[in-house]
Amino acid sequence: MVVIRVPKTPANAMNPNRPISKLLRNQIEHLQEAEFRLPADKQTNIYINAIKTEGEAAEYIRQVTERIHSAAAPGKPKRKPAKTKTFKIAASAASKRKGKTKSKPKSRAKTKKKKR
Amino acid sequence: MALSPGLQNLKHIVVLMMENRSFDHMLGALKATDPLIDGLTGNESNPDLNGAEVKVKPEALFQSQLDPDPDHHFPGVDLQIFGGDTSDTRTANMQGFVKSYFQQRRDAKHAAKIMYYFTPDKLPVLTTLAQEFAVFNGWFSSIPGPTICNRAFAHYGTSFGKVGMDLFYVKEPFQSIYDRLVTATPKRTSKLYYFDQASSTMEIVNLLQHQSELFGTYDQFIADCNSGNLPQYSFVEPNYNDHDGDAGAIIASDQHPDHHVQEGERFIASVYNAIRDNPDLWKSTALLVVYDEHGGIYDHVPPPKCMPDGFVASPNDTGTGKEFRFDRLGVRVPAILISLWVLNGTVVKGAGEAGGRIFEHASIPATVTDFFLGDYDQRSPREKAADTFLDLLTLPTMRDDAPEFQLD
Repeated sequence: MVVIRVPKTPANAMNPNRPISKLLRNQIEHLQEAEFRLPADKQTNIYINAIKTEGEAAEYIRQVTERIHSAAAPGKPKRKPAKTKTFKIAASAASKRKGKTKSKPKSRAKTKKKKR
Repeated sequence: MALSPGLQNLKHIVVLMMENRSFDHMLGALKATDPLIDGLTGNESNPDLNGAEVKVKPEALFQSQLDPDPDHHFPGVDLQIFGGDTSDTRTANMQGFVKSYFQQRRDAKHAAKIMYYFTPDKLPVLTTLAQEFAVFNGWFSSIPGPTICNRAFAHYGTSFGKVGMDLFYVKEPFQSIYDRLVTATPKRTSKLYYFDQASSTMEIVNLLQHQSELFGTYDQFIADCNSGNLPQYSFVEPNYNDHDGDAGAIIASDQHPDHHVQEGERFIASVYNAIRDNPDLWKSTALLVVYDEHGGIYDHVPPPKCMPDGFVASPNDTGTGKEFRFDRLGVRVPAILISLWVLNGTVVKGAGEAGGRIFEHASIPATVTDFFLGDYDQRSPREKAADTFLDLLTLPTMRDDAPEFQLD
């Protein structure tokens, strides 16, 4: 039997700041359509045009996917989607509103810090 | 006719679909060791904008080479396949890859990299599997276009008239392969396993309809393999983006440029190992590793014509000024069928070869439906015409020489 060694991928292959590809852009747009089917209070209110990097894309994708599954789970208590863990998406619906200067991600980050 | 021992034992079909690499780019170099593999001689070329010959080179790198992401949308692929000929009498010649890539950066030296291919030592997993099991010389993407419409063929046997990345909606009477299985009597089992919540799925249409019912994560796939609870049909998606997880950095494993190809190798190996590590599962599973489309990267085999699927994409949708009747396949991609019942070193002949067979992504629902459901009429014309691949499980007795992958 042949045993093949599979080398470890170098750590510098990781780049969450890589600009998102068209594929990820489309995935985000498609997920937004799915998100819009959720009740308003379950939506992320994240402004997807502000998502520029893979890390930001991953965070949006995670939030929406968790919310879709949470909303669909039959007979289970609705789990509150996890808070933003790693990447703060640059803009949210709150930052789209005219005259508002305080962005939602910023306030979320503060809340998270307090909880710790 | 009696089923072969391989088919008598078969209980599970698993499909792992990777991203955006052509056959020649990944496996073309294997022709040097096995002339039956329809790969590269080293003399294949494309003209640059001045007509100078740009040859294939064994200089593909894992990362940072194909940036920007090579064009693989419908008009770009049309140029790659037909070399810029837009006449009604044109024939596919695979002479427009360098021209197409040049358009993105206007850099002749960089455009030549679209002709680069990997040497087998760089891809120990994929090339070992290709040589140890069955490699397809003639597996083509379903559409000369991008990811979403091509993946649709793997799920539905049609893209419902789409040739791009638009979100589409299922049109009666064509159901996804998952719907067919879970609504059958008796009910069959099926799941799409995506990597994790931060990567999610490209099959949003099913996510919109079924959410949790049909979906699992890669951790669950591993657990289901270990516990012997793998569904009859599983579709596995790699990780589509770099992100942080509970255990630290998680590198994208889909091999989509500019993601690191080596991480995709590790992912393929881990799917294989998960099945292999459960002896009962291993002897009763067929694993297909296939790529959704070529990602704009050179391949030398012209895509053949095929059965139209009944839809028509408008000139506006194709972006070429011409309608598309889904009567021609996309560029060739790597595809490998892995099973203990497949003869070591099988090369399935392809386009232009005597006795050659043509496969495409509609072959996936066609095969799964035939095997688990038998007669089933509500399929697209394309799927009905698609070749199936389980006849490759030919061995009278199970092999005991399957390779093992040890992940560093």
